[in-house]
Amino acid sequence: MEEKFEPKIVALLCKWCSSAGSDLAGVSRMKYPPNVVPITVMCSGSISPDYIFSAFKNGADGVLVSGCHPGDCHYIKGNYYARRRLALVKKLLEFIGIEPQRFQMSWVSAAEGAKFTQIIKDFVKELEPLGSQNKLRSNL
Amino acid sequence: MVSLDDIKKECKSILEKGKVKYIIGYKKKNNFYLSVPAFIEKVNEIDQLIWDPTCVYNLVRYLRDEKLRKERQKNPDTRPVGVIVKGCDSRSINVLLQEKFIKREDVFIIGVTCEKSGVIDEKKLNKKFEGNCIKKIEFNEDNNYVITLETGTTTVPYKEFLADRCVDCSHNTPLVYDVLMGKKVERSVSEPFKSLGRFESISTEEKWIFWKKELDKCIRCYACRSVCPMCYCDECVVDSINLAVNPDTTAEEKAQKIRWVEKSPVRSENFNYHLIRALHLAGRCTDCGECERVCPVDIPLRYLNKKMEKEANEQFGYIAGIDPEKPALVSCFKDDDPQDFIR
Repeated sequence: MEEKFEPKIVALLCKWCSSAGSDLAGVSRMKYPPNVVPITVMCSGSISPDYIFSAFKNGADGVLVSGCHPGDCHYIKGNYYARRRLALVKKLLEFIGIEPQRFQMSWVSAAEGAKFTQIIKDFVKELEPLGSQNKLRSNL
Repeated sequence: MVSLDDIKKECKSILEKGKVKYIIGYKKKNNFYLSVPAFIEKVNEIDQLIWDPTCVYNLVRYLRDEKLRKERQKNPDTRPVGVIVKGCDSRSINVLLQEKFIKREDVFIIGVTCEKSGVIDEKKLNKKFEGNCIKKIEFNEDNNYVITLETGTTTVPYKEFLADRCVDCSHNTPLVYDVLMGKKVERSVSEPFKSLGRFESISTEEKWIFWKKELDKCIRCYACRSVCPMCYCDECVVDSINLAVNPDTTAEEKAQKIRWVEKSPVRSENFNYHLIRALHLAGRCTDCGECERVCPVDIPLRYLNKKMEKEANEQFGYIAGIDPEKPALVSCFKDDDPQDFIR
């Protein structure tokens, strides 16, 4: 029997909103695919592009960055900086020939557990036809 | 055409008055038509200075060395350094001023306009005059190139050998200067990002094939980093140096030192290096084209920087090196920045 491809997603979640949102999804017993590896960071604005490239290098099939809605940032404006910086990352990844679906960004508040599950479900669905990400994966 | 005599006269007067420590300019490479950077300290050295289409270097890079040298000296000479800049180079100075890396009073800027044309692309030239030893290249009154060969002289229109970056450039007049040489000639470029056009019609997979082929060539000599006037970090993220390893350093300490990019020139690491480089230059690169020129394996690095320039311009209305008073691209934001890619 052929094994079904299961994409591996690295999710960089901000501590104050998205991480709490994913927690809410957990404690509310909402079901979502187990393909995601959540990493809590202090703020989406603290995410260096190095984290994203590093995730792809170490074999992630997709990277999700999630932060607070604009205006809700715990640090007032971290997510605005993130939005600007990661827009450039997204365009750059597309430019060198990485499928645009592999890097995604979302705003998830602490109350949006359902939105978080939906984002993960959609993300997994979009990654499945692409297969595993071997372009930036390290062979070292 | 900018007169070399004018440049020499100006340099002589500022050196004689003792306004500057030394002047960074261009001189002729020994027995060759190309130029090399010149550091003029004494008045009698001024005759070495040249101004012709081979003055490709971005001399702003040397301001970093000067700053480091000054920091190490006990009683440094506090006079400014004179530097000859073209339009693109002056924007590099603006970025350094914006980032407060250099102070305006530490540099005396001798701006030289490119007027209508710009500098040559050595590769284009070699392609055409293969086998013919070029002696000298000069501008004529119309800013076209007069090329002196062993067999005689020939005049060619500048468009034929103009470096690609000059074709895309609309900042032919320096934006910041203390003295300006040459006329201010307006030049508008209708499609500043025309060179990126080839990527617009091709698919993701074709883009990948293109970049895979190009970046697999990279030998990680870091020439692009060394020549870049914007790369001035003491410790670069791609080769961290500040972990002092001695016999007592434990394996754990070594392991905890994060290395974002490994040093081996393999595909994943090459991509990582060039992606990080492109992002670090986003909103800072002024398209002086030095990285591409020095690349020993001909990687078209300008495309990566140009793409970031384009996105900064189209999405955020930002042009690098225009106004040193404004905040940098990634250290500011607007409430209505595009966010249609975010769910």
